[in-house]
Amino acid sequence: MRKVTKAPSVRFKLALGLLVALNWSCNNDNDDPQALPYGSGVLVVNQGNFTDNNGTITYFPPTGSTASYDIFNQVNQRSLTGSVQAYEEADGKGLILVDNTTAGQDKVEIVDANTFKSLATLKSPEIENPRSAVRVTANKVYVSCWDLSGDFSNGTFYKDPGYIAVVDLTTNTVTKKIPAVKGVETLLLVGSEVFAGSTGGSTKLTVIDITTDQLKTGIEIGANPNPVAVDGNGKLWVYSGGEMIQVNPQSKAIENRLKIGTDKTRSLSKFRLSSDKQYFYFVSSYYGDASENYKEKGETYRFSVNDTSVPATTPFIKRLFSGLAVEPQSGIIYGGYTPSYKQAGYVFRYQASGTLIDSVKAEIAPSGFYFK
Amino acid sequence: MMRYRDGIILSLLVGSFSVVNGQTNGTDQTLPAVTIRGTTPERFSAGQKTQRIDSVTLEQFRFQTLTDLLTYTTPIAFKVYGAGQLSTASFRGTSANHTAVLWNGININQPTLGLSDFSTLPVTGFDQLAVQYGSSASCVGSDAVGGSILLMNNPKWQQPGFQASVGQQIGSFRNYGTQLGIRFVRVAGKRWQIAGKSFFYTTNANNDFPYRERGNYFVEHSITQQKGFIQDLYFRNQKNQQLSVNLWLTDNNLTVTPYDTTVRERTRSQSYRFLTTYETNKLTLRLGWIRDIIDYARGNFNTPSHSETDRLISRIEKEFTHSYPSAEVSLRLGGEWSHYRTQVDGYGDQPIQEDRADLYALLRMQWTRWLISANLRQAFVTRFDPPITPSLGVEYAVVKTGQSALTAKASAGRSYRVPTLNERYWKVLGNPDIRPENGFNLEAGLASRWIPTEHLTVTSEATVYRNRIDDWSYWNPESGYRVENLQLVVARGLEWSGTLNYTTANWQSGLTLAYALTRSSQERVYNVYAQDIIGKQLVYVPKHSGRFSAFVAKGKNRLTFQNQVNSRQYITFDNIQFLRGYVLTNVLLETQIKLGPVAARIQGQINNVFDTVYLNVKRNAMPGRNFTIQLICNLNTLKQ
Repeated sequence: MRKVTKAPSVRFKLALGLLVALNWSCNNDNDDPQALPYGSGVLVVNQGNFTDNNGTITYFPPTGSTASYDIFNQVNQRSLTGSVQAYEEADGKGLILVDNTTAGQDKVEIVDANTFKSLATLKSPEIENPRSAVRVTANKVYVSCWDLSGDFSNGTFYKDPGYIAVVDLTTNTVTKKIPAVKGVETLLLVGSEVFAGSTGGSTKLTVIDITTDQLKTGIEIGANPNPVAVDGNGKLWVYSGGEMIQVNPQSKAIENRLKIGTDKTRSLSKFRLSSDKQYFYFVSSYYGDASENYKEKGETYRFSVNDTSVPATTPFIKRLFSGLAVEPQSGIIYGGYTPSYKQAGYVFRYQASGTLIDSVKAEIAPSGFYFK
Repeated sequence: MMRYRDGIILSLLVGSFSVVNGQTNGTDQTLPAVTIRGTTPERFSAGQKTQRIDSVTLEQFRFQTLTDLLTYTTPIAFKVYGAGQLSTASFRGTSANHTAVLWNGININQPTLGLSDFSTLPVTGFDQLAVQYGSSASCVGSDAVGGSILLMNNPKWQQPGFQASVGQQIGSFRNYGTQLGIRFVRVAGKRWQIAGKSFFYTTNANNDFPYRERGNYFVEHSITQQKGFIQDLYFRNQKNQQLSVNLWLTDNNLTVTPYDTTVRERTRSQSYRFLTTYETNKLTLRLGWIRDIIDYARGNFNTPSHSETDRLISRIEKEFTHSYPSAEVSLRLGGEWSHYRTQVDGYGDQPIQEDRADLYALLRMQWTRWLISANLRQAFVTRFDPPITPSLGVEYAVVKTGQSALTAKASAGRSYRVPTLNERYWKVLGNPDIRPENGFNLEAGLASRWIPTEHLTVTSEATVYRNRIDDWSYWNPESGYRVENLQLVVARGLEWSGTLNYTTANWQSGLTLAYALTRSSQERVYNVYAQDIIGKQLVYVPKHSGRFSAFVAKGKNRLTFQNQVNSRQYITFDNIQFLRGYVLTNVLLETQIKLGPVAARIQGQINNVFDTVYLNVKRNAMPGRNFTIQLICNLNTLKQ
């Protein structure tokens, strides 16, 4: 992730680029070298309402709050047709992970990262239930996939094993499927290794050598571990069952287990590291009872990487977010808010101190961000 | 594809979504004389628009579903999930729960879902079809908020004899249909006549598309197998007492993604419908039984989630008529009682039972130029309190000559809907305290007929309406799709249709044009973010829709064009996303030949002639241009 400094000339170019992009959609003149409309700024991943298959990507320019909506559709004249799970970039290309309600219709759209013009589409059976993506080398991306999912009520939901698709961006193809735990989820690159989490019931954190694309010995952590980040002290943090677990990424030794909050009715999610790598933010949520109309409620909390206990009693931001991220340079906190899955959500921006900056309308269920 | 909530979401999808679509048109080419007693709510719906679908159109669509027919002949918008998949109606900008489907006068909407899946209702399942626009709760009862679809079976007493019929359709994508039936009318003894029909049909839609995508959108693969059996028997005597027995069994088996055993999904819907009616000139007694079964399974088909609902229905109606020197007055008093028993996995282990009853009085007064109906209905439901529903309708013949007729119409009526069983009893998401929706429908229209020469007939009808539905029940996505009486929806619009028929000794031709403007929106602010959806068009309801059809016939040959135009359908409440509008065209060519005693009808059809890419609600592309050919042979000893 990088951040481009904003200057009037850049803004002008952007505006020009947008115009050109709009122009494209009419005349399909694809070869304009000037157009870098999405070269810098923030991409908002809007998950969409699952059964409507209407996930989208919203673009926020580096300055101001004038968003561009459903940019993939604007450029390519077709919608993504699925729930958008994640976005990752490598080699000047963007990968959009799309999960459709129908099996065999999931995909990864590969676009030009600057123009969002579609370059290739990875489809079934290479891609089934894509969950998360991470750039591992200049032109290689890992995509975690659950594979085909079965019937949840019959306990056959997660296929065993899931896999990690190795995407080669020089050819835009899946070159390998690395078998992984069932329900393989979050991916995190640390040095020459990728740590892979799980939602399918595994207790081990998967470790992959990115030079050989081979599995290494996993780390026994606890229920459904998912890697979060490496903090300012060089420690890997993994979330599992109400605890943040501090792991030495070299020795793989567990060095600390930090209990987060005490309320068992709450579910904790979206642990994100601050830009100074000293704090974690996270969302704590629960479902209200009948008197609260069963609405999902919750707040956003913060703790220091050096804390010895995390009571999680005083919210940092009194809002429940469907997406949370920290802009790595400025430390600005982006919170996605979903009023309902049938109308546009909003993105609230805060200073690292928690002071609200502004809010910008996004699309359906803003759940992820990509800063470029 | 995935997600834990699949089961629930599916039931919801099937069950409820508050909103659907709207479109436009009206066809009537030649109206066959209809004489059915007792079953017609139209008689007491003065001031409202009723469209009868002519027998030629029914014959042309006999291998297709009600969705196919109604999208080309009415402005009803359908929310379609794929070829041969779930299809629900939005009539005049209302929800899928707001269209009553009556089979011989009995509401056959699935009580769990409160709607009919029109993809499971084949056109061949009934003899006559009429579409009643607007609320008619006082005549029809629950569900008739946006309109009603009236399916009727009818003995052809005037055609004694015997007829056997065999039909076969072959279509693109390895889609087949077969129909077999007999029909008879005969004299039994000195005083009695018997009529009957036995009919069996089957459809195997393999949907073997030669493409996986159209216009970069996936085409979802699904297989639909449909079977049905109809048995009608009628006995009548010289005193005009008639006993009828109607049986309609349907079995619809839909498999989505059939070739992957992990993710395939099967929805099997079976309905057993049995009705017996005793009628005299003044009295109608009905006794019916309907069983609806839905089995849904994913992956392993041996352990489906099962839902089964039985209804026992009884109805008594007595009509009093009196002729005054200048007026004809009819009063029909009726009472209805039904018992429901339902066993659904999502409702818990115990079956749920409830009783429903209705009392109603329907009054019709006719003078030379005036026709007035005034109706009143009170429904009673176990642990539920439906409102009293009155209605008043007026028609006035402004012009009434042999050559031309102009009728002005107006009506006002309250409507209600008994909540679906899912809404009341679904353990997780249902709401036992849900209130009845409260609707009020106003409409006015002008209908005209002009016959300037013996060759030419021109008709036209224009209607404006406003239907306000408060306490609109809504599976609220903000509270995990639990159902609430949250919204206030106002649907208003106008419908215009015109027909022109030109007939000479050798040639017949006709043109039907129709347009509908449907503006339906949510009007209540119930939280801060509702601001973004106030006044926005309801999802899946196109604002503009049009129908155009034309035919030309010479002797036994007929060429027909069918056309539908729909504007964009929004898919989010705040209208930021939509499915693009589209135009679809079909061309039909048919001829009839006689081989000895066998009369054969051959119909060739091109569907989606221009290969339009259009999307269903799952955002998958619908099939492109395709072809069907059908052959129907009738061995006929019917005496005309």
